[in-house]
Amino acid sequence: MAQISQDEASVVIIGSGAGGGTLAYELTRAGIPVVVLEAGPHLRNEDYMNLEWEAFNQMAWLDPRTTSGSWRIATDFPNLPAWLVKAVGGTTTHWSGATPRFKAHEFRTRSVYGRVEGANLLDWPITLEELAPYYDRAEKAMGSTHRHGRPPLPANNNYKVLAGGAEKVGYRHYATGPYATNAEPYDGRPATVQDGFNFQGDKNGSKWSTLVRELPRAGETGLLDLRPESQAVQITHGKDGKVDAVIYLDSEGNLHRQAAKVVCVAGNSIETPRLLLMSASSLFPDGLANSSGQVGRNYMRHTTGSVYARFEKEVRMYRGETMSGLIADESRHDPSRGFVGGYYLQMISLGPAFLASFIEPGAWGKEFTELMDAYSRTAGLWIVGEDMPQETNRVTLNSTVQDRHGLPVPDVHFDDHANDVAMREHAYAQSDRVYEAVGALGTHHTPPYPSTHNLGTSRMSERPEDGVTDRWGRTHDVPNLFVSDGSLFTTGAAANPTLTIVALAIRQAEFLVEQLRTGAL
Amino acid sequence: MGYPEKYPAKYPQLNEMEFTDTARQILIRILRVAFPHEGFPDGPYERQADQIFELANESTWFRIKLTQGIATLNDLAGGSFLGLDDQSATKVLKHVEHTDFFGFIRRTTILNMYEDEAVWEVLGYEGPSFDKGGYVDRGFNDLDWLPDPRVEESQEEFVEIVSDLPVTSGAAPGTDQPTGDAARSSHPGVASTTADQNLTEDN
Ligand SMILES: Cc1cc2nc3c(=O)[nH]c(=O)nc-3n(C[C@H](O)[C@H](O)[C@H](O)COP(=O)(O)OP(=O)(O)OC[C@H]3O[C@@H](n4cnc5c(N)ncnc54)[C@H](O)[C@@H]3O)c2cc1C
Repeated sequence: MAQISQDEASVVIIGSGAGGGTLAYELTRAGIPVVVLEAGPHLRNEDYMNLEWEAFNQMAWLDPRTTSGSWRIATDFPNLPAWLVKAVGGTTTHWSGATPRFKAHEFRTRSVYGRVEGANLLDWPITLEELAPYYDRAEKAMGSTHRHGRPPLPANNNYKVLAGGAEKVGYRHYATGPYATNAEPYDGRPATVQDGFNFQGDKNGSKWSTLVRELPRAGETGLLDLRPESQAVQITHGKDGKVDAVIYLDSEGNLHRQAAKVVCVAGNSIETPRLLLMSASSLFPDGLANSSGQVGRNYMRHTTGSVYARFEKEVRMYRGETMSGLIADESRHDPSRGFVGGYYLQMISLGPAFLASFIEPGAWGKEFTELMDAYSRTAGLWIVGEDMPQETNRVTLNSTVQDRHGLPVPDVHFDDHANDVAMREHAYAQSDRVYEAVGALGTHHTPPYPSTHNLGTSRMSERPEDGVTDRWGRTHDVPNLFVSDGSLFTTGAAANPTLTIVALAIRQAEFLVEQLRTGAL
Repeated sequence: MGYPEKYPAKYPQLNEMEFTDTARQILIRILRVAFPHEGFPDGPYERQADQIFELANESTWFRIKLTQGIATLNDLAGGSFLGLDDQSATKVLKHVEHTDFFGFIRRTTILNMYEDEAVWEVLGYEGPSFDKGGYVDRGFNDLDWLPDPRVEESQEEFVEIVSDLPVTSGAAPGTDQPTGDAARSSHPGVASTTADQNLTEDN
């Protein structure tokens, strides 16, 4: 592991998750030393626990946040808008592994969907064609099943129910992946033991994360200075308007300054805009790189929801991979369904502790306990679909509350768009059909969990007035400041985001290497 | 709510009280009525009640709410909440369901009682599995009342855009416009898949 002097103007990456971890690996591999500031501790696979709440407490980002808006989260989980990790490897240590690609038209939604009232749709400044080679590299890096020769995972119990129902209602595009967990040993990591604890970190190391792959490999180059428990609180700049350092807090609350020649922010879509907003200065009064006013806006979280179906016979959904199965048929764009964009139905399983907490927040009495009593006979799925970017869905600095360091707490404001509601209703109804086709005794429609997919708050745009970053993720306003995580998403697509975050980071790294080589940066 | 409000006392000594065994019996009964699981033994409910008392002891606010709430339940029950049958007890809880008192009990229970081994056993959940080698050899796929489904992706073509509407061109980069049947691929979202087995040097 390298030790880079705090005075040496370096490439500084903030966050070590999907975006930051990938970028760190790609840059060090190309011979560029990097400092990675990671707010959370360095947990390792052996530290993880097979207990839902204890693992959550160990891994999750628990610094206070507030919520506003009409989404149900603001009532049920007012201080937990999102389900994110604060640890080395970021939320890739918590994620489960679904890796579908975006479709071509999902980069061009303004053109293809047309004008949608109240939505701030915009075409991406890049196309699927441009991203395709990076998707290939990302899939190989992550070991996506069903891609590049990686075999599919076997069907587990929960999948048998999902796929059985899918077949009966006439769906065709179901499979156990693509899913970034090893079905057989690959890339130096073992095959899954189907323990069912992906969301709790995966002790076995079969699931891809930047903790098990990119960060250790970056470390092997001798060019990575990874600093856990180092939370960036401000990015500073010189008179020339270029960023020149990152101020960060260590675990004892002491402030440090790391000089920087390039800063890449990858703190996920709540912390990234928070940091840019906290870095406001006289030169950038509305926040760093915010001349468009779009920093923090267009916050997206996918249109989600779950359906849990009860059967007569045992399912035991918790046995095996948590999310290795999906139905893609509804991911098409087909406005005749009453909404634009599409969605996936993906299997999901929660243990009793999480299921009790999330299946119907606020519920008690027989209607609640009947759901729990059916636990071992229950199958579950998760809806994930494209939601509409809206300017008013937004991460801001809460001016009334601060965290223990005296920093403003981020507020996450969200209202569903009518399109989101129509899509969710459609998805609930289709899910019922799927499960009823294989004999469900009853189904329960679970509202969205705290957001696991957080997107769009520093979006890419062709024109500087429409967004925060250009086609490379470089901010329009500050030439040596980059955004390198899901905040970049111009629109959300139906697909789970991580494969795309990784592909964008690989592509951004290539651009950075070239810029640094030619001295442009 | 129809009962006198009780406020934090001016002198903290006034709040120095301990819950009696009757209070514990009432709380356990509340839990049994609010979370009725026929198969659950007493253990989980008792442990849950004790945890709620522990939390209440750490917070004056919750202690007061709890004391006050229990008294209210007896009032609403016309004397003794413990004397009510399930149906009447449920009705009484319905009356207080939006109070901080009940909210505190409900939330604490939801967040804790279901991470209890005795509960798991009744629900048919097996708990931590990694130490036992996961389920790869212990029934991850033992469901036998449905046929074994396909796990590979379908080779049928996937139609990405279904629309009979003309597509507006807007400010799209490039000139290609998808039409009703122009945007198709064999795998959703994947235009072409290369089948090379090897990790390239690239990664
Ligand atoms: C339960 C769950 C299941 C999921 N399943 C899937 C799935 O199947 N497929 C999929 O595609 N996606 C899935 N996701 C989402 C996926 O985890 C995220 O999309 C992805 O990790 C986001 O990458 P990121 O780089 O934007 O941020 P993260 O991976 O969240 O990384 C951000 C990192 O930055 C750190 N950080 C933040 N602020 C600062 C700061 N100021 N200073 C220093 N460090 C900071 C954080 O501690 C964190 O480590 C899932 C998520 C969850 C929670």
